[in-house]
Amino acid sequence: MPLSFAEPARPVSLRRRPETLATMPTDAVETIETDHDQPAFAALVDSLPDPVMVVSARDAEDASDRRLVFANLAARELLRIQAAGGPLVSAIRHPEVLEAVDESLFGGLNGEAAYETGGAQDRFWRVRTRPLAPAADGARLALMVIRDETDARRNERMRADFLANASHELRTPLASLTGFIETLRGHARDDAAARERFLGVMAAQAGRMARLIDDLMSLSRIELNEHIAPEGKVDVALVTLDVIDALAPLAAERGVKLEIRMAERGRAMITGDRDQILQVAQNLIDNALKFSAPGGTVEIDVVDDVTAEAALAPTRAGAARLSLLSPDLVGGERFVVLRCTDHGAGIAREHLPRLSERFYRVEGQKSGERLGTGLGLAIVKHIINRHRGGLAIESVAGQGTTFTAYLPRL
Amino acid sequence: MTEQWVTVSGDLVEPLVAEVARLGGLAEAQIADCLDAISRRDVALAHAVVARDPKLDALQADIERRAIELIATRQPVGRELRRTVAALKIAMNLERCGDLARNIAKRSLILSESEPLTPLTRSIERLGRLVGARLKEVLDAYTGGEIEKAAGVWARDEEVDEHYNSLFRELLTYMMGDPRTITPGAHLLFIAKNLERIGDHATNIAEIIHFEVTGEEMTGERPKWDALQRRSEMLEGPLTSDRVQSMTREG
Ligand SMILES: Nc1ncnc2c1ncn2[C@@H]1O[C@H](COP(=O)(O)OP(=O)(O)OP(=O)(O)O)[C@@H](O)[C@H]1O
Ligand SMILES: [Mg+2]
Repeated sequence: MPLSFAEPARPVSLRRRPETLATMPTDAVETIETDHDQPAFAALVDSLPDPVMVVSARDAEDASDRRLVFANLAARELLRIQAAGGPLVSAIRHPEVLEAVDESLFGGLNGEAAYETGGAQDRFWRVRTRPLAPAADGARLALMVIRDETDARRNERMRADFLANASHELRTPLASLTGFIETLRGHARDDAAARERFLGVMAAQAGRMARLIDDLMSLSRIELNEHIAPEGKVDVALVTLDVIDALAPLAAERGVKLEIRMAERGRAMITGDRDQILQVAQNLIDNALKFSAPGGTVEIDVVDDVTAEAALAPTRAGAARLSLLSPDLVGGERFVVLRCTDHGAGIAREHLPRLSERFYRVEGQKSGERLGTGLGLAIVKHIINRHRGGLAIESVAGQGTTFTAYLPRL
Repeated sequence: MTEQWVTVSGDLVEPLVAEVARLGGLAEAQIADCLDAISRRDVALAHAVVARDPKLDALQADIERRAIELIATRQPVGRELRRTVAALKIAMNLERCGDLARNIAKRSLILSESEPLTPLTRSIERLGRLVGARLKEVLDAYTGGEIEKAAGVWARDEEVDEHYNSLFRELLTYMMGDPRTITPGAHLLFIAKNLERIGDHATNIAEIIHFEVTGEEMTGERPKWDALQRRSEMLEGPLTSDRVQSMTREG
């Protein structure tokens, strides 16, 4: 049922002082000035995407006296306002917002307040208030505009989280290095065997820091270019074979067998950045090796020329499935698929949505002695996004995991 | 079945309801701020929460005075009487929520003196947000007159308990693993308990709204818990690592 709402209480006063409607686009304000058709005004304000309200008041002491005399459609929907003339606090009760409104009503000042609403999804709102000319009957009036700033706020928070995580990840190996240096200077100084052992550990920690920094820099480079389409021509099958060659020693060392099914040379062609596609294959295969038990098998498939549905068709029975990234589809697109299947630890359903978060690692997994940085899949996701492709995961805890990357075919 | 509950502008009880909504807004902000004080280790914010609490007390006292005056001088009956009494009772619950938030803010001050227990404060934050969302829902139901919404809050009482339970376990495991975390861990336990009680007040308010609109008590067993009661009793008194160990065995 569409909400009906009374006409603004004093539209004339709004029209007389269009300059107070600071947040309206200028051409809209002009329309108000020249157009004397009342319903057109209401329709115009209703079509504004941001909630806009007019509050009236007479008595500064009585909270219930601040009344909503007008609310546009967006405001009525957001604040579930059923009827005109109700108390403002019934619609919005955040103390700072109420203060800002009072500032405009009784102090003649512009006010501003921000508030958050919890629930299924956190949202972050900014409220701006402006004094309006008093109504004909003497009531004070103020304009109130609400803007959704959730996205800006979320980005800000992500940046802060990222910095905190990155520093934390770097601090751990650094602390261990510092600790060993102390020991080497102290009681281990004359113990040759201990010295050798410690230097080995220190080299490993330094290596870990170097890897972290490499990954971070690579991530930031990828992000810089994420909205610039790649240019080169890449044969996904060839690139994948290169990666397999490079990782073969690691596979042998871990006792993992590789089963490879490749599209013919020159068929799995995409427009892409060769180094980046290499990184995708490298990360996915590296993960599969890392989380396989010795003696296990990892299957690597490159399939050329399939539809999005075919690329996303289930490959593991009974698996939890999640698309970590899906491209915009208009229909008829053809894709090259790079698929990596292992029969290792698997990943429980609840972890799937967080896998491509930076630094996220599933706790309590055995991954050999080399602890990952948790940046691999974040890098993979950004690269695939730049290539307008998609990434999906299927996994059964205890049985194994399949990652499917699909990229638009040339 | 949709209960009609249109607020008629200018009626006898409306100013009172508006003040209760304002108190609700204050209580919600106190809860949000005390949670931020924990997660951001923001000492100034914690002090601000403590300093703002008298404002809630004063508003509650004012609502109480006005409600009693209204009953005495205007002698409302039926629905109007129930609305007046409901406003009075809801205000009392909200004032208690404010006290609990103040207590949490005070504990956050102590927490900020020890090393951060990041994963645990995250869990606390989650519980806090859940509880805050429930209070918001029930207050929206109150001001918007949506009785089904209130009933929803009442029925989902268990959600908070589940969170509280798992947090309780998580905390104890942590404290056993590393004795240095016992002191901050104990404060987090009390904070969790306080949040859980705020959730209880939200449930109370849902019941009050139901009574106000229908004139009947809510029927059905209120989702309750025994184990939790037992644990909260165990929480009285100082925590030692021995006691923590015995709690995990029982839990
Ligand atoms: N094939 C897999 N099987 C089981 N778990 C996996 C698999 N691939 C990824 N994961 C889980 O996802 C997490 C994130 O993977 P990601 O590649 O981003 O980081 P990483 O492998 O830990 O570190 P890095 O790739 O930087 O060395 C892993 O830590 C692991 O918990
Ligand atoms: Mg990896």
